[in-house]
Amino acid sequence: TPGGSKPNDYIYFDRSTAGFSDEVLPRAKAAQMKLEHYYKVAVDAAIERNTRRVELERRLQVDQTMSDDRKQRQLQQLGKKESTFLRLRRTRLGLSDFRTVKVIGKGAFGEVRLVQKTDNGKVYAMKLLNKEAMLQKDQLAHVRAERDVLAESVSDWIVQLYYSFQDPVYLYLVMEFLPGGDLMTMLIKYDTFSEDVTRFYMAECVLAIDAVHQLGFIHRDIKPDNILIDKDGHVKLSDFGLSTGFHKQHDSNYYQRLFESATGQSPANAAQASRNSVMVNPINLTMTNEQIQTWKANRRKLAYSTVGTPDYIAPEIFQQKGYGKECDWWSLGAIAFECLVGYPPFCSESTHDTYQKIMQWQYHLAFPDDVHLSRQAEDLVRRLITSADRRMNVPEIKKHPFFYGVDWATLRSIDAPFVPHLRSLTDTSYFPVNELEQVPEEVPAVAGDAAKDLAFLGYTFKRFSISSHAF
Amino acid sequence: APQKPLYLCSPFVEAALVKGNFKTIVMLPKYVDIMEWVAVNMFDFYTNLNEFYGVLTEFCTQQNCATMSAGATLNYTWINQDRKHVHLPAPTYIDYVMTWVQNMLDDDSVFPTKSGQDFPPSFPSTVKHIYRQLLRVFAHIYHAHYAQILHLRSEPHFNSLFAHFLAFGTEFELLEVKDVRGSSSSPVGVGALWERWKGMGILGG
Ligand SMILES: Nc1ncnc2c1ncn2[C@@H]1O[C@H](COP(=O)(O)OP(=O)(O)OP(=O)(O)O)[C@@H](O)[C@H]1O
Repeated sequence: TPGGSKPNDYIYFDRSTAGFSDEVLPRAKAAQMKLEHYYKVAVDAAIERNTRRVELERRLQVDQTMSDDRKQRQLQQLGKKESTFLRLRRTRLGLSDFRTVKVIGKGAFGEVRLVQKTDNGKVYAMKLLNKEAMLQKDQLAHVRAERDVLAESVSDWIVQLYYSFQDPVYLYLVMEFLPGGDLMTMLIKYDTFSEDVTRFYMAECVLAIDAVHQLGFIHRDIKPDNILIDKDGHVKLSDFGLSTGFHKQHDSNYYQRLFESATGQSPANAAQASRNSVMVNPINLTMTNEQIQTWKANRRKLAYSTVGTPDYIAPEIFQQKGYGKECDWWSLGAIAFECLVGYPPFCSESTHDTYQKIMQWQYHLAFPDDVHLSRQAEDLVRRLITSADRRMNVPEIKKHPFFYGVDWATLRSIDAPFVPHLRSLTDTSYFPVNELEQVPEEVPAVAGDAAKDLAFLGYTFKRFSISSHAF
Repeated sequence: APQKPLYLCSPFVEAALVKGNFKTIVMLPKYVDIMEWVAVNMFDFYTNLNEFYGVLTEFCTQQNCATMSAGATLNYTWINQDRKHVHLPAPTYIDYVMTWVQNMLDDDSVFPTKSGQDFPPSFPSTVKHIYRQLLRVFAHIYHAHYAQILHLRSEPHFNSLFAHFLAFGTEFELLEVKDVRGSSSSPVGVGALWERWKGMGILGG
């Protein structure tokens, strides 16, 4: 045939969606995306399943001591677990599968509850995120990132995620419950820590932050509220709401494009614009003692507000120039300062003033005269709260004299300075549960449409866990 | 001569989201319970097909699709409470099928979800029933709505879903050749597609 390549039944088809309703295109797009996601997961799952089996078979093969009978049983055991996992995938988990024991935390987009799974009584922390509020605040990319970090992590330093699901109003993250509360609550209670206690928490944070970085993520929002305490008094990081996976497509632009391709329009983006702009007015930037007290009194309220506190955020994040994982080490410096001094280095009466102080940190980083700090402690803070290019990296931090004597390899197995005394599995005495009752409920959102649901595609998750905790 | 259906023409017949052989994701994983494997896959086929049918509902109306057609001379009938074969408009027929399947998937005595709960002995035959009805929904969409799928640029997706469905049905003997071919007087449109894909070697086996 002339031209050669086209078969003789080749059809030139004029594609056109003229006359189709507005609903159809976003729905078709959503169906396509869901199916792409489905096959990606199906292939990954097949590979992982296979790897688990091959690994076990290999381990059993080299084992000289185990009887063939037992080996066979172990393989059957694995098959049973895999089957249970398949069953779990079919199970539509929902709110009704969990019984709320208490509200234990409040965040920008919803609350955190202590819950028990109704069928087996297992205890979890459940975080609710209001979809509508997140869409309005352009937090989509962030919630994907949060789910991904939690889902990928099998690190002792990161809170484990077991399930996630959604309904038209909320996203739900069901994760391990850390009964010791958070560092913010501890700081409110104790004001300051001794240098020894600070050393312990900061050293653990160094390893935890490094673990996040090794997964390929930047946390970006490390603050005392996100540093949780487990039943033995050790630290775990939660809340990857703002973390960005730099090896993934988690930027807001990605979701923006999804929307555009699905609806043919771009949602207005005022929130984004205002968040990135930093106004600079000359105003009084020093704090009186009284002002510090006010800041402390408002600290928890700030944690519950949608804007959040900027106190621990590195200056380069506010600029449009881009940033790397160094920004997390700045946050650590700010937290170390707070542990030792009693308030964060740039705290102000308004978030706007805090922004300004951070941008001009050279003039505003000051250690108060009435707090005695060792040279090493002050030096640690100064080498973290500094420009990104001069900030210490992990090896440098670990070698810093403030951490002299820390055994980095065994840190997590030593006795913590503060171990929660728990009377039961559902003890919430380390959470401000009474205060939380005063916090008003979020306004419920309106029902979903295809474009909105598309944004939360791939959110639903169930962990395959060899330790079978998830079952 | 009657015109060849679009789905059998190039380039659409080759369009695919998932390239290669479906064997790898269809095969029963070693040591895994076959019932669980079939159950979760049927659950997924239903969910995914439902998603695509949801896109097409505004085209699949009582007026446009007064019968549950799947070929030039083939209209499926529904068996009603009096065991009579009745013709239904396609949207009604499909609504019945999808509701019926959904109810079964939600029924713990048919598709158990609690731990330690076994599948009923009738499970294999139930699944065969479900498979047969879902096949009819696929067959109707290919026969009556393929042009719309093309307009929506969804043919690689829909083809792969159907090819996966066929490969799975073959592997677990859910697929009856007579169901996919139809009779010589009223052939199923997608019967020819099935033959084509088999020839192309994408259905495994
Ligand atoms: N896994 C958990 N176990 C115990 N308590 C938790 C857990 N996750 C969160 N909390 C509690 O809930 C509080 C709020 O949680 P978190 O900081 O994750 O949400 P958030 O404030 O909504 O996030 P964001 O910083 O994005 O606003 C925490 O400070 C902590 O006290």
